[in-house]
Amino acid sequence: MSKKAFRPDVDAPKWKGGYSPYDIIKEGTIALVVILVLTVIFAVVFGSPDEKAITVRTWSNADPIDFATTALSELNGTSTSAAYGAPYNNVPGTGQAMGPLKLEQWVGVRIPINAAQDFVISPLKSLPDQPILDQNLKTWSTASTTTQNSWLSSYGKAATKMKVAKGQIVVNTTSAGPLPIMINDLTQMARSGALDQALVTGHGFYTTDYTKPLLFLADSGYLANLASNQHLTGDQWGMMNETGSYPGQAWLWLYTFWYQIAPFNTSASGDALVFATMGVLSLVLLFVPFIPGLRSIPRKLKIYRLIWREHYQDNK
Amino acid sequence: MAFLLSFAALIPLDNLGHYIQWHIIEISVANLIVMILMVVTFIVALVAPFPGRSRRKENR
Repeated sequence: MSKKAFRPDVDAPKWKGGYSPYDIIKEGTIALVVILVLTVIFAVVFGSPDEKAITVRTWSNADPIDFATTALSELNGTSTSAAYGAPYNNVPGTGQAMGPLKLEQWVGVRIPINAAQDFVISPLKSLPDQPILDQNLKTWSTASTTTQNSWLSSYGKAATKMKVAKGQIVVNTTSAGPLPIMINDLTQMARSGALDQALVTGHGFYTTDYTKPLLFLADSGYLANLASNQHLTGDQWGMMNETGSYPGQAWLWLYTFWYQIAPFNTSASGDALVFATMGVLSLVLLFVPFIPGLRSIPRKLKIYRLIWREHYQDNK
Repeated sequence: MAFLLSFAALIPLDNLGHYIQWHIIEISVANLIVMILMVVTFIVALVAPFPGRSRRKENR
């Protein structure tokens, strides 16, 4: 029977020396207690991030003009949500892909969003006892697409000089049909807090589906500015940052690193590319013991000899 | 309210953070401190003697 050659990367020589007792329960308990004490001390001294939740109400009160222009973008289909594609809506040419793998198209429209209907028309229709608004909504819904586009265009041009007077959205145009009333009423609805509730989708007893208010907020310039101020956007390594001066998720540095360089930060499929890259790197990490050369690095670096130096000194 | 305030952090870190920018690299000072502490802990773990070393030697 032939004896197999010793492979330093894979095989371990049989230990022929003595053994020392090692109390892993004792060491684990000490580590647990130390971490517990440190956690309590840090919690008492520094607390934890406690940012107030941002709602459509806070947004529309803080920046009513940004709210009104975002509402207009939902109506004319230029907002991010309206033009996103899957899983929210069918928009040709959208959706992230990895080469021939059309990931988002494969998923399809799983959470249907009609931006104009869901964010503007339906909430306005839910307002009770609003005869003027109801008339304007009827005018809108019975108008042809060409007429609607003409109103949207006129309102959009005038909206560059939009202002707030006595709490009302004022746009200087007479050729925007029912839009001035609709946008102003939606803004008032948002400022009262009623829009937050109207946007929450509730199919059961509990209403926990915040998809619509979150998408509406994400279309705003307000949320983007808040995120940018807190260094939370993708191009600011935001994935590893936390609000305020708290340390964040530093271990996500490699994920967010890719978003800072080309082609990841220039491609429309940046997320898919990062996903694929990290997938490949994770597989490499998983299979380190099977990759010749890579698996030899610890043996060649000899850091283990530093950790177990007492043993190696005794066995020279 | 006063009772609740007694649970407030001694040094709250809710104020806007400080960030260090170097070319494409941007890192918060808080994250940098945590990373430095992790590296220091790693080096200490490497070079600090194992507890009970002298006792083990005596037992030999």
